[in-house]
Amino acid sequence: MNVMTRGIRNAFRNQIRTFSIVVILGLSIGLSLTMLVAHQAVGDKIASVKGSVGNTVSVSPAGVRGFAGGGNPLTETQLAKVKTLQHVISTKESLSDRLTTSNTSLQSAVDAGSLGKRFSQNSGQAFTAPAGSSVGRGGDGTVSFTPPVTVNGTTAPTDLSTGGLGGGGTFTLKSGSVFSSNNTDNVALVGTSLASKNNLKVGSTFTAYGTLVTVLGIFDAGNTFSNNQVIMPLATVQKLSSQPDDITSATLTVDSITNVASVTTAAQKALGSAADVTNAATQAQNTVAPLQNIQTISLYSLVGAVVAGSVIILLTMVMIVRERRREIGVLKAIGASNVKVMTQFMTEAITLTVLGAVIGILLGVAAGNPITKLLVNNSTNTASAVQGGFARRGGFGGGLRNSFSSIHAAVGWSIILYGLAAAIIIAIVGSAMASFFIAKVRPAEVMRTE
Amino acid sequence: MLKVKGLKKIFQSGDLKVAAVDGVSFTVPEGQFASIVGRSGSGKSTLLSLLGALDKPTGGSIEIDGNDISQMRDHELIQYRCAKIGFVFQSYNLVPNLTALENVTLPMEFAKVPKQNRLERARQLLDQVGLSGDKQNRKPGKLSGGEQQRVAIARALANKPKLILADEPTGNLDSQTGKMIFDLLHGLAKSENTTIITVTHDLEIAGKTDKTFHLRDGKLKGK
Repeated sequence: MNVMTRGIRNAFRNQIRTFSIVVILGLSIGLSLTMLVAHQAVGDKIASVKGSVGNTVSVSPAGVRGFAGGGNPLTETQLAKVKTLQHVISTKESLSDRLTTSNTSLQSAVDAGSLGKRFSQNSGQAFTAPAGSSVGRGGDGTVSFTPPVTVNGTTAPTDLSTGGLGGGGTFTLKSGSVFSSNNTDNVALVGTSLASKNNLKVGSTFTAYGTLVTVLGIFDAGNTFSNNQVIMPLATVQKLSSQPDDITSATLTVDSITNVASVTTAAQKALGSAADVTNAATQAQNTVAPLQNIQTISLYSLVGAVVAGSVIILLTMVMIVRERRREIGVLKAIGASNVKVMTQFMTEAITLTVLGAVIGILLGVAAGNPITKLLVNNSTNTASAVQGGFARRGGFGGGLRNSFSSIHAAVGWSIILYGLAAAIIIAIVGSAMASFFIAKVRPAEVMRTE
Repeated sequence: MLKVKGLKKIFQSGDLKVAAVDGVSFTVPEGQFASIVGRSGSGKSTLLSLLGALDKPTGGSIEIDGNDISQMRDHELIQYRCAKIGFVFQSYNLVPNLTALENVTLPMEFAKVPKQNRLERARQLLDQVGLSGDKQNRKPGKLSGGEQQRVAIARALANKPKLILADEPTGNLDSQTGKMIFDLLHGLAKSENTTIITVTHDLEIAGKTDKTFHLRDGKLKGK
């Protein structure tokens, strides 16, 4: 039997005490692991939310979103002030417009439906129905019309988020080619639905603003709204629609997500009340604030549990060493070095802690996910209530908060290894004081206490 | 051969100095059985601690086989104790969760004796002290006082020491068992050519040893 084996066997000398210590250590290590799991899962979720938001800042004329609201368009001169702001690495600009019966040959691929009719009525019937559509009042008193075709003049033709029309989607070129950001030709990219409705192919022409425009490419955005759009060079739309220099939307790309807030503030300051400057990152930051609280709480709990575990094993080992003072003296008297005796007691501490770690890991595996979900749900529900039920109303933050319920905290091998490593560190730290006492025991004490 | 010259041990507590051992000198030839007698507090156990290199003297020298152990450093003393000195205590001081056999192998483990050799030697020693068969695998709690002291004697002999120090080895035993233990130690001193020094209150036992030293107030009073 060697020192290590003796240390392991000594851990079971007093079975009731061993059981109690192992259970308490198990709870401590289990809590540590649960908090570590929660900390990692919440951290991953925060990173995922922040990553999905991106590092862009949106600039639009004050009071306008797409075709809703009012106000005056921004100008190239105004935008020049924000293009040179520190941390802004690129700018995308667009001018959104609607083609009317009088200036286009295109027919919308989207039927009005009841929503379109309601929107038309609420908007004061400002739209003129495109050619071929029947306009008039139905028996129920609603206006019947075909929704207008929207045109987006842009410097970033493949970025469907730029333009502020809200269609979004992922740009996929189905045929033809894409124009460059500084193109000034009378060319257009046409959505698949609109191209199909108007029998357009690459090279076909249609009339917009009374001018013949050539189809350069057909794209698919993956949604009906965006596939009913025309994308043209910004300069072309400014020229054809007689809105030279006008911009209805711009997107600033910032060098890092951490600089988004400062760029937003600087851009708003530069443009003053003429523009609304927003970013999704700030909203995301506010939305993930409860998660960050959980992350902080879980970190403190993790540290607390590890410290508690260390203190438990430290006190246990000090108690054991005091109890076996005579035995230590005898071992030293018959030839054991301090290192050997310390190794034996450290092995005993590691045995107790590893047994606790096994219980702790089982607890962590079982409780990690439910406790993380409980913490997230309680925290986000409280935050929603405090913020006046924003989440219940939907919107960006609400959507993100809803995604928190899908948070999944899994105990992987890395966590288990962390747990075992923590157990060994706890054992070593816990044995340190005991080792000090062991070193101080002089073998002569065995004689004096006879 | 054990040679002790002018040995002193002074304990100090604040301004108070107590000479537990005060200028003790004596010699015990190899293979002899010597006893130290004296009243409680006369310095017997302190003297034994000094002879066993468990404590360092304040002055004087202790030579065992020509080596002055009073000048050795701590790590040298550990090795020296392990190889050259065996201890037998009044209350046996066996490790309670180890079997008799495992207790006897302990000093050999510290002396880095190969596992198989130490098991063989431990069995042989236990047989020699009269503890054979199943009893070798019993833990101390399952052995009588006399049997535990036999295990302690076997443990003391494990590394073939030059000197065995016994502190009241019969103090916790009845007179008959005490006599058996004394006879065992006496026999071993002769058969193993080991010097044995025992501390005892029992003058009858002391009278049977080769040499007797009387200690009073830390000083040797006669031989």
